[in-house]
Amino acid sequence: MAKEMIMAGCAAAAHAAKFARVEVISSYPIRPYTGIMMELSKLVANGELDAEFIHGEGEHAQVSIAYGASACGARAYTGSSGVGVTYAFETFSPASGGRYPIQMAIADRALDPPGDFGSEHTDVMSARDQGWIMGWAETPQEIFDNTIIYYRIGEDPKVMLPQFSCQDGYFVSHIPDKVIFPEQSQVDEFLPPYKSPHPLDPTRPTSHGPQIFPDQGPAIDLQRAQAMLNTPKVIETAIADYNKIFGRNYSPFLEEYKTKDADFVFFLQGAHARTARYAVDHLRKKGVKAGMVKLRFLRPFPTEKVAETLSKFKAVGCVETSTSYGAAMKGGNLIHEVRSALYDEPKRPAITSFMAGLGGEVVTFDEFYNMAKVLAKAAKTGKVDQYVYWMNFDNEV
Amino acid sequence: MSKKYCENFRIPKHLEVPMGAVIPAPVKENPNMKTGNWRTERPVIDHEKCTLCLNCFVFCPDSCWHLDEKGERMVWNPVYCKGCRICVESCPADALQNVNELEFKGGVVRLEKPY
Amino acid sequence: MAQWTKTPTGEKVYEITIWARGVTQDMEGRHLSLLLSKAADKEGKFTQAWDNYADLPDRVGVPLRKYARISDEEIEMRYAYENSEPNMSIVMDDTIVKGIDVLRGMQKGGVLVVNTKRPPDEILKLIPNKELLKTLVCVDATGIVGGTGLEGLDFMGSEGGVEAASVGAGISAPLVGAAAKATDRVKVENLVAVAANKAGVKAGNKTAVVKSL
Repeated sequence: MAKEMIMAGCAAAAHAAKFARVEVISSYPIRPYTGIMMELSKLVANGELDAEFIHGEGEHAQVSIAYGASACGARAYTGSSGVGVTYAFETFSPASGGRYPIQMAIADRALDPPGDFGSEHTDVMSARDQGWIMGWAETPQEIFDNTIIYYRIGEDPKVMLPQFSCQDGYFVSHIPDKVIFPEQSQVDEFLPPYKSPHPLDPTRPTSHGPQIFPDQGPAIDLQRAQAMLNTPKVIETAIADYNKIFGRNYSPFLEEYKTKDADFVFFLQGAHARTARYAVDHLRKKGVKAGMVKLRFLRPFPTEKVAETLSKFKAVGCVETSTSYGAAMKGGNLIHEVRSALYDEPKRPAITSFMAGLGGEVVTFDEFYNMAKVLAKAAKTGKVDQYVYWMNFDNEV
Repeated sequence: MSKKYCENFRIPKHLEVPMGAVIPAPVKENPNMKTGNWRTERPVIDHEKCTLCLNCFVFCPDSCWHLDEKGERMVWNPVYCKGCRICVESCPADALQNVNELEFKGGVVRLEKPY
Repeated sequence: MAQWTKTPTGEKVYEITIWARGVTQDMEGRHLSLLLSKAADKEGKFTQAWDNYADLPDRVGVPLRKYARISDEEIEMRYAYENSEPNMSIVMDDTIVKGIDVLRGMQKGGVLVVNTKRPPDEILKLIPNKELLKTLVCVDATGIVGGTGLEGLDFMGSEGGVEAASVGAGISAPLVGAAAKATDRVKVENLVAVAANKAGVKAGNKTAVVKSL
């Protein structure tokens, strides 16, 4: 019997961790993800969750504790926000290379300076090369489901990779919404217990992370690259199982909204997809053929699916909520992935990017309408005037 | 060479920021953080009982008590006092007492936001 | 009208701003917005209830804000940092009215509800911009509940945590009963059904003094 609760994304992630039967939780406070650890500490203290709750002395220690626990065969859960993620940066590669499937719950926060609590995806985006699975949630219900699904994907023997389950700080993590709780038996059916292939055990001693010579390096890197290649198939099976057991309707990689006869689409991830749907509805009422495509997994990036889906449109606007200063397109991150995916297609849309929602700013309907104006023109002429538009600032040209 | 990236975007006046977000620091008082509206009760001093021991000046966490220029009386700062009552508790001469803020007219800077 | 207060057909969403003191009244403030939202849910309306992000983490005594929105149509812009055009302002501690412009951004013809032992005229003297106000409601919520008002204080629930199973055990109950006297957006029967302190809601509704301006 499903139970309907009203809770924010932080509490939803904490309760999902309880349903997933995590065994070791390592915590350190930083706003806005701190609500997750506050709720988990209450559940552990009440006896509702039987787990070790460890308080690290910093985010670097936090992730080290988590993958140390995973090395012993425990299911580990940790998290961070903003500059906490960058403080823990050194530990991301050992966690991924040692193949410890821990989960890190991220509630995005803009990086310092100066000191901004608002949501911006740059904190986790800067770790996209480290070999972790990562994806964004749009609603508290989605972060609840993602927490359970990512463990199943990451702990699969063909994958064995850690995961970032991300949500926008404040927009998803602090504004309450309806969340449907499943039964514990349903979660147990979907998520089997964690079986580490090489746990630390005094009766069978192992060395984790020994010294190697340079010519042994490529083989280890190739192993991890192949694990990432195995992941999309595992994702598809996991999402299909989840939809069947829990009655949801998730599509594994891309979620499309009113794209059947669209001229152009907004391509985005995270919380602002919610506003984008209403904006698309308003634009359609005015006769503008707009659509929206939401990306559910940034890593592994669904290259073939993106190429197949986006090549049907005449123009694509990537809504960037993160920055990549000095990169090839000098704006955000999504445009590089999209352009690379579409490079080989015979029929390519005009692609541009919009810097919107940076620093935690709300992306309003007016901003979506301005984006639509640019994209409608690009759809008609087949080219873009500019690759990067900074919304809300005056363009002198 | 046509401009393709962010060269031609201008920051509007109301959003201008100094480089690196480095701003001058307040010296004596911070006019951007007036905390007088945090209090529900204010300390009222009875100057007859006051012995000028300066306990209130020493213990106030917000430096809201100080001696006037002539050095004869204690002066209270209504703009920043948060009503924490530490001065009332630490006065050895019982010269201070808490009175509800609404018994007084004025004495608080009326703000739009909590600070 | 700001963009995010409009419904799909251009009507205005009913916005409620709740002012409370930090730490001691943080939980009751949140429960107040949850009571309004749950009661309006029972009537089939679309609602939203959340805390102001910049006022948290709260410190003792800081005036902080909680928000609720009620609408007959779907609320399109869920992501806003504040209710910039409140129709109703509820104040849990009367000294806040002196130090804060609680009517900022209010639409003309708004409602102000204050938890106070003093008569309405004394509260009105503290408000320089009272031309925005149409109704003032005064109720002695602390007196109705009794005690210091700090019993049952629970720090969980702030920073995106979930609420305990029961809402409205303290001073939020009489305040919400008084608020229902001045608006038809939410009915007293539904508030009594969702609150833990049902007698408090009814007492607040009965003893509140409503002054029309």
